[in-house]
Amino acid sequence: MIKQGMRTALMALALAGGMMASAPAHAEGTLTVSSPQDPGSWDPVDTFLVNWASVATNIYDGLTYRGPDTKLVPGLATSWEVLDDGLRIRFALREGVTFHNGEPFNADAVKFTFDRLMGEEGKKGPQRSNYAAIDNVEVIDDYTVDMHLTQPDPVLLTKLAGYGAMIVPPKYIAENGEDYFNAHPVGTGPFKFVSYEPKVGIKLEAYDGFWGDQAKISDLEYRFISEPSTAVAELQAGRVDLVIPPTIPIGMIPTIEEDPNIQVVTTASPTVYALRFNTANGITKDERVRKAMIYGVDRKAIIDAVLGGQASEIVSFQGELSFGYDPSLEPLPYDPNKAKELLAEAGVAPGANVQINIRGNDSTFNEVAQAVASYLQIIGLNATIKPYETNVLLNDIIPQGKTGEMFQQSWGGWTLDFDNTAYFMYHTGEKWNPYDSDPKMDELLESQRAITDQAKREEILREIANYAADRALEMPLYNLNAIFGLSNRVKNFTPVPDSRLRLNEVSVD
Amino acid sequence: MAGFLIKRILQAAFVIVAVTLVVAFAVRLTGDPALMLSQGAGSITEEDLARIREALGVNKPFLVQYTDFFLGIFTLDFGRSFLGGTPVIDLIGNALPATLMLAFASMFVSIAVSIPLGIKAAVSRGKWADQFIRIISLIGLSFPNFWLAIMLVLLFSITLQWLPPSGMDGFASFLMPAITMGIILTATNVRLVRTSMLETMQSQYIMVARAKGLSESTVLYKHALRNCAIPLITYFGLQFGGLLGGIVVVERVFNWPGLGTLAFDAVGARDYPVLQAVITVLSMLIVGVNLLVDIAYGLIDPRIRTE
Repeated sequence: MIKQGMRTALMALALAGGMMASAPAHAEGTLTVSSPQDPGSWDPVDTFLVNWASVATNIYDGLTYRGPDTKLVPGLATSWEVLDDGLRIRFALREGVTFHNGEPFNADAVKFTFDRLMGEEGKKGPQRSNYAAIDNVEVIDDYTVDMHLTQPDPVLLTKLAGYGAMIVPPKYIAENGEDYFNAHPVGTGPFKFVSYEPKVGIKLEAYDGFWGDQAKISDLEYRFISEPSTAVAELQAGRVDLVIPPTIPIGMIPTIEEDPNIQVVTTASPTVYALRFNTANGITKDERVRKAMIYGVDRKAIIDAVLGGQASEIVSFQGELSFGYDPSLEPLPYDPNKAKELLAEAGVAPGANVQINIRGNDSTFNEVAQAVASYLQIIGLNATIKPYETNVLLNDIIPQGKTGEMFQQSWGGWTLDFDNTAYFMYHTGEKWNPYDSDPKMDELLESQRAITDQAKREEILREIANYAADRALEMPLYNLNAIFGLSNRVKNFTPVPDSRLRLNEVSVD
Repeated sequence: MAGFLIKRILQAAFVIVAVTLVVAFAVRLTGDPALMLSQGAGSITEEDLARIREALGVNKPFLVQYTDFFLGIFTLDFGRSFLGGTPVIDLIGNALPATLMLAFASMFVSIAVSIPLGIKAAVSRGKWADQFIRIISLIGLSFPNFWLAIMLVLLFSITLQWLPPSGMDGFASFLMPAITMGIILTATNVRLVRTSMLETMQSQYIMVARAKGLSESTVLYKHALRNCAIPLITYFGLQFGGLLGGIVVVERVFNWPGLGTLAFDAVGARDYPVLQAVITVLSMLIVGVNLLVDIAYGLIDPRIRTE
């Protein structure tokens, strides 16, 4: 028995020694991340879930790359040139890059990726619609491709840095099939896939052949934990090193701050909140009434009281990080007297009803909405809150034009381009715009899409923001921070605004 | 006996068909899964949605979808998850053992606690020990299980750091979820063991055993407990079904990778195939256990067979 024990101990020692000898000096330690959702597939064409991106950004690369500073830099393409009035983009590809399975990265892989996205496989998924401008990819030589577009898409270069545009290995997919690829992803990123257990977690390890900065940890493990209190308990117990958004509610921040071993790290996110108006029916059809309601609510006070400093006030439906943000645009001040005047001018009788539709499971916004309702009460409107289950509100109420006078809209495109917000919120006939139709707005929105000069585009996007504020299309509220829970053993962590979290710079004690 | 068996099996089959029909219909009331999948997309067109619906197969008439699902049950083909396309049977294959193991562990906790306590209460009937156990079980019965779960996590995972707060990872990870589930059952089971022991203790063969001069513990454990075991086992068997139904909350709090978690996620994602498969499997388990109990009764008591 003792002999047996000794033998096991010796073997363990030998194994440990062997492992230490083979592990490269730069990559040591395991980082465990709690992520709120299992996307079910790791194939880039299959999903829109941000929690796909928080894992997959470590596995795959795009032609372009955008890190925490939100600047667009070369990825698998070393340079690019926009030609033919934005209808063709020529990419020079990085040489000497290999996929995790040893397959070389080259022009064929790029062509394969986009043929697949726009072809039969892509048709089954939601990602394709985001890249609708791409007509085809033409191979010029082994390391040069031309991307031909059916119409200019000024945001396309940013979109190539994430999601559906991640470059996938053609030979690997042909040999193993689509189903296998869903559960066994292979890319060119800093971490390679080890194992995936549906609903439980996914494990990655450092990829020694990565073309960029080598990972500083050897293992990267994700556990899917949807319940916030459970994720925070795991962080407190030291079994999870990092809890990524959207998990931690604002109310839980003090619990983390009280614990000396863990901390809260935040950064501005793309997500903005507004109460949008029903501009087609009811009292909010009148612009003066909409303005009155904005004057009547002290948004700054609500943000300070309810959001504990984890949000900043917005003036248009975008945050500071957004391309198209206009720093000179001033908010309507809190002025209840002016609000009452405007209401009287518009002939609104005191006690008129205002229904506010919100997502029932969003406890923070629930508080915000209640505060808004009390302010509206003060200026003589009878505001009631009607919560809906999130999916019902997003799919069956807003797009169908069945809301009350005001409805919650939380929006945040990872591309951080105001086009991605404004077009869908304000253009006639869009899914998220069930009420408004304004030819001037439509024209502005359409005009910027055809322009490749980004400075000119930014000017038009700012004009759109100003025009929307002028017409008071929504009551702008706030830009929420992305909230991360972090163990003190994690070093060199930079929070990202958009969940596209690449962890090759991070190390652990 | 054959006639009785056939009747019971036909009844069970009818229940399962009815459940699948209701479930298949009800999940489709939760909304359009194509909208759900493309929620992050700004520029989704009706054409895109139609394409996704076709790929998911939700554009077919309800009866066609239902027939596909129902016939699939016989070949264990529940289709593919709408979220990522994993075959549903693989998801069930991972989750079912996790749920069953947790359910068995909870039953074990409950039985291991309730039998000694129940016997103690029975033998000290009316005395302080009986009253004390009665109050304790009443308190146990009135705990909401999610609250108990959170308190256990605070104490054993965060303050003492003895047990992992969540996940299924070795023996230690079973303790808190099994205790949370088990304690609720224990409360009722203690009462049941007590009553059933009291009845047995009044039978003549116990008097005979005592008259023979056997020690009190032999009388209790060898004669009384064995005789009241039959109704108790039946009851515990039925309880197992109820346990499976109540597992969702506990699985969520402990992030247990079982059927409850699977169902919870599937509701949120409008993942019809997963949701209908989980409910079908759960109802088959419950109906199956009931059927076994029925048959066991029939074997033991001829009066039931001929009813």
